[in-house]
Amino acid sequence: MMHAVKIAQSVKRPRLALLLIAVAGLGLASCNYDGGDPKVQIGADPQLPALQQYLIPPIHIARVVGWGKETPTAPQGLQVYALATGFEHPRFLYVLPNGDVLVVESNGPKAPIYRPKDIVTAWVTWLAGAAAKGGNRITLLRATKGDGIPDVRTVFLDQLNSPFGVALVGNDLYVANTDAIVRYPYQEGQTSITAPGTKLTDLPGGPIDHHWTKSLLASPDGSKLYVGVGSNSNITENGIGAEYERAAIWEVDRASGAHRIFASGTRNPTGLAWEPETHKLWAVVNERDEIGPDLVPDYLTSVRDGAFYGWPYSYYGQHLDPRVQPQRPDLVATAIAPDYALSSHVAPLGVAMYTGTGLPASYRGGAFVSEHGSWDRTPLNGYKVVFVPFSGGQPSGPAQDVVTGFLDANNHARGRPVGLAVDRTGGLLIADDVGDTVWRVSSNNPRPASNN
Amino acid sequence: MTADTTSRNTPDRVDLPVGREPFHPMLVPFAIACFAGAFVTDLVYWQSVAVMWETFSDWLLTAGMIIAGLAIIAFVIDVVRGKQIRTLTWPHAVGYVLAVLLSLINAFVHSRDGYTAVVPTGLTLSALVVVILLFTAWVDRALVSRRRVGAGT
Repeated sequence: MMHAVKIAQSVKRPRLALLLIAVAGLGLASCNYDGGDPKVQIGADPQLPALQQYLIPPIHIARVVGWGKETPTAPQGLQVYALATGFEHPRFLYVLPNGDVLVVESNGPKAPIYRPKDIVTAWVTWLAGAAAKGGNRITLLRATKGDGIPDVRTVFLDQLNSPFGVALVGNDLYVANTDAIVRYPYQEGQTSITAPGTKLTDLPGGPIDHHWTKSLLASPDGSKLYVGVGSNSNITENGIGAEYERAAIWEVDRASGAHRIFASGTRNPTGLAWEPETHKLWAVVNERDEIGPDLVPDYLTSVRDGAFYGWPYSYYGQHLDPRVQPQRPDLVATAIAPDYALSSHVAPLGVAMYTGTGLPASYRGGAFVSEHGSWDRTPLNGYKVVFVPFSGGQPSGPAQDVVTGFLDANNHARGRPVGLAVDRTGGLLIADDVGDTVWRVSSNNPRPASNN
Repeated sequence: MTADTTSRNTPDRVDLPVGREPFHPMLVPFAIACFAGAFVTDLVYWQSVAVMWETFSDWLLTAGMIIAGLAIIAFVIDVVRGKQIRTLTWPHAVGYVLAVLLSLINAFVHSRDGYTAVVPTGLTLSALVVVILLFTAWVDRALVSRRRVGAGT
């Protein structure tokens, strides 16, 4: 035994030194957990710090407390009230020509456990209130009286498969399920559709389906449908093969169902809208995680035909991501930076270009963006609806907070904003998938709201 | 009925020698195999950049950590119950503790997404753990043979 102790002492020191070096190295790699001021990352030219890699990814989610008697807050001149409550995970809103509001109640398919990390992720998702069961249906709201409060509420479409985007062209109503676009016949005034749908085209769905939402927007002439298809991973950890035709905006021919990739490298394009002045396609996109509290800023951008926006190989142009191998220098060379950064991890899930007249004139022509809120950043970022002013078809100033109060004083979540829509009288509608509510923002100058 | 009678006649026939044996050495080789396996799958990932191999490493490290945790619990129980722990020498203790600590760090490094979950830190840690385990085994073997020589003379 004496021999053993002696030998142990002689071999112990170099090993301890090695351990210390390893731990010190990891310590250096994981300092600076707190994010800086998001303001320096809003606009056309965001500050991008050096990327860092973590030993333990920082998880900072807002615990869910619900609204109770509270409502979101808005600046002077605006009021917010609950249009309707009691939904099952409302994610997206669509306003039909007759003023009826469609509320898409949905959540993603159950995420498979491929890595030990997925078990932790599932738990975090549950804590954040994001694991709530989705209704897999679309509910219709109609206000028949003059007060704008809906008094008709019907199940418009049921038994869907994680639906998100909705678009109406003439009498054809398109629903983007997570795995296909389905067309339904629709007559104005209908409160429910029982006719079976017809598949227009398949969309990339399971078996992983990491970013499951498929945003949908019809072209002004109705000939094309644009589909935002998210990536199948944070940063290709499920293999590049799982990313086939994902992280892209599809252009689907409405007549034939054929599609082409309109733009690519957009990690998760969750909201699409037409800019009203130049009639160009714009999108909000969720960028990658786990390389720092201030990387990578999510963004709002015009979507150029054929453009590549970097994911997964690079971000904001040619900033390489070392987590992606093999790299594609040929693609990175063509990568363009998006137009307008919204700051990091805000999770923009909805965008609405405002052309209505119900809100103050300063909002006309600009973009409302809903920020679902961060889960991996301290301090929290997002959890609000902001307004980006536009001029000449381009953002023309810093984003302003419009609807806040989704977090309480203790940074607990009362709700989280997702889909946005402008109703027929110019009110801004907000789907809240944690508060299970649809909020309506209107001008508080008395104005008769007649939905009929 | 016959069996009952037999055991009543020779109650300590089987239990006595086995009762002295510690439980934890049964688990240790499985943990070592997992950590060594993770080094191999890390090497293959490094060369192939095929995500499947990184996923193998993740699960091997996780399984290794769970088995190592069970082995530590078993070891504590063995000590408390006064089992004969013949194999515990200082190289063993230091080597195993280091290997488990580094593998824990390695499991976190492997939880990253993409290439840097393995290259370079994860692969380096996997290699270091294998070197430590081999070195521990080698020192241990040298000790055992020296003791045997000592006992013989």
